[in-house]
Amino acid sequence: MTQLQDSSGDIPPRRQLRTKPFSRADRVFYGVTKGASSISIILVSAILLFLFSQSFSTFQTQGLDFITGSQWNNTKGEEVFQIGPMLWGSVLISILGIIGGVPMAIAAAYFIEFMAPKSIAKVATVLIDLLAAMPSIVIGLWGLYVLTPVVSHWSELLYTMHHVELGFASFDIPLLSMANGKDPNTFGGTPFIAGWIVAVMIVPIITSVTREIFSQMDRDLINSALALGGSRSSVFMRVILPTASGGVTGGVLLGLGRALGETVAIFYVLNLVSDINWFNILESKGGSIASLVLQKFGEGTSEEVKALMAAGLVLFVITLLVNWLAAVIVNRAQPWRKI
Amino acid sequence: MSELDLSALPRPKSQPWQVRNPKNTWLIAAASVLPMVLAVIITLVASIDPTVATILVFLPLQIIATVSVGQYIYGKKGRGDAILVIFTIFFSTLVGVLLVSVMFSVVVNGIRAMSPQFISQNNVYISPTTSLAYGGVGHAVLGTVLIVGLTTLFTIPLGILIAVYLTETRGRMRSTVRTLVQAMSGLPSVVSGLFIFALLISPNFGNATGFTQQAGWVGSIALFPLMLPTVARIAEEALRLVPQELRNGAYALGAPAFKAFWQVTLPAARSGLITAALLGVARIIGETAPLILTTAPANNTNLNVFEGSIATLPTYLYSYISQAQATSQQRAWGAALVILILVFVLFSLARVLGSAKSTKAKKRK
Repeated sequence: MTQLQDSSGDIPPRRQLRTKPFSRADRVFYGVTKGASSISIILVSAILLFLFSQSFSTFQTQGLDFITGSQWNNTKGEEVFQIGPMLWGSVLISILGIIGGVPMAIAAAYFIEFMAPKSIAKVATVLIDLLAAMPSIVIGLWGLYVLTPVVSHWSELLYTMHHVELGFASFDIPLLSMANGKDPNTFGGTPFIAGWIVAVMIVPIITSVTREIFSQMDRDLINSALALGGSRSSVFMRVILPTASGGVTGGVLLGLGRALGETVAIFYVLNLVSDINWFNILESKGGSIASLVLQKFGEGTSEEVKALMAAGLVLFVITLLVNWLAAVIVNRAQPWRKI
Repeated sequence: MSELDLSALPRPKSQPWQVRNPKNTWLIAAASVLPMVLAVIITLVASIDPTVATILVFLPLQIIATVSVGQYIYGKKGRGDAILVIFTIFFSTLVGVLLVSVMFSVVVNGIRAMSPQFISQNNVYISPTTSLAYGGVGHAVLGTVLIVGLTTLFTIPLGILIAVYLTETRGRMRSTVRTLVQAMSGLPSVVSGLFIFALLISPNFGNATGFTQQAGWVGSIALFPLMLPTVARIAEEALRLVPQELRNGAYALGAPAFKAFWQVTLPAARSGLITAALLGVARIIGETAPLILTTAPANNTNLNVFEGSIATLPTYLYSYISQAQATSQQRAWGAALVILILVFVLFSLARVLGSAKSTKAKKRK
């Protein structure tokens, strides 16, 4: 047997526990990451600052009518820039997109997560991720040449139902009729088509968020509800939807944020008219702030470009608020993502 | 008294709760097929519009068939399930049809324009009526590679650093930064373009002219706010997948935070970070609006991102999309197919490289 040696000299002295970084390398490391992170804060502030500094004169000359009015005139000396129809158009198209997209997205997520065999679910997930990365200009091209003829046809069919004759009264359904009461000669360029395009663009986003929420749900909860005699439908309505509602709402808001900011795809399928179109979704007349910027920017006068910056600022503030809300809701609904 | 046999009963070979009555199988099959056949026959005989027929003939027939079969097999609760199944499958099919339609039409229409010279030649001397045998997107591909490459150079380190800040440090701004990054991922692309235009190109703060003209590098910067959130979020997910024990092990061995990250966490998360980079590139490769505002279109090949007009695939597509001539439209479809292929390649690479690590991990076990 070997002699036990006194090894107390090899034991390093007890270290003091500290939460601050010890070494210079660590301090640099933390400093660099902190600096990089503050870029995100700087970026958002810079966007607000620069767009505001450029568009300040527009807000000054146009006043509150910039948001509410509906004229656009770039003739020198009598410039009037008002984005009311465009703002409402963006909202209307986003609402249509949400109405069309949410049932599709929830159904697709439910199908992938709870119904489909594993192999099909995998393929469908990849397909949906691929569509989420599809550039909006490709969707615009497809929308112009493939979707527009189809949806115009649907619009024509819907338009035939716009007039209701009852025995004692006859009236037009406001949603399906035209503002001036005349028959339209085209069903292209309507908010209805743009709504479909937006639906196609936001379905992948809402589906992937919803699918993620569904996949992280406690299976025991579902199985016990089934064991208690629940049917698939009652489990879906009373267990899955209420449990996932927070995340689904967040996903819908994320989709809404994208829908409001959608630019190129809508630009090709919508007839931009600076005249407010409240609810006549089959009329070839609509608006979208982002597409307005694209349309007027090329040959805009300097005053007009400033007005477009102001429009961009309005759009940015709205989408930032919507996305912020969405991020907060999604984070709250996914506690497993927190460290 | 005979002895009690206390051995366990043999388990039933079949699982009774999984046995399906063959009669029911036939009923379900009939309920899935018959309404469609019937609807097609009615549509053809009465020559109804297919859209109307789908909604007014096929769906009601399908609902009646499925609900009655559900009622017959499962009783009252079968009815709700039948409706759930119908609506799920109907809407999922609609999604599938839309998605496949996008890809199918791009591939079918794009392949007609595709040829070796369409990839390699540029757009000089090409008028809207020039035949497809001349000219192509070569200059635009190069421009896209240069502009996106430049964006990638500075966005990926920054995005990964933000992810590191969110996962590896205990900084106080973390929740703010995380929410802000998520909110920025919904930044409208046109606003990004307007911002960079306001910052660099348009006259501001008393200067008579802007800082610079429209050029490739301005476009690169305009793509930065769009790419950053994607990279940061996916990189954050990747770093979070690294087990906390690995880091703790490194710290317990006395490694300072920087070394623990550089030698332990970073190699462990490498494939995830590559995925983040590739998906970030896929996110911006087709962005159009910022480039329209910040770069000037060109017909010739320009390899200088710091000066002059430069073409990119999205702006090329943008300029041809609404032309009346058939050849121009075909050029647009061709460019769309090139973009689609690039996105697809980036996605496949991300999948392959992203899964490389998991197979290695399996082998080690």
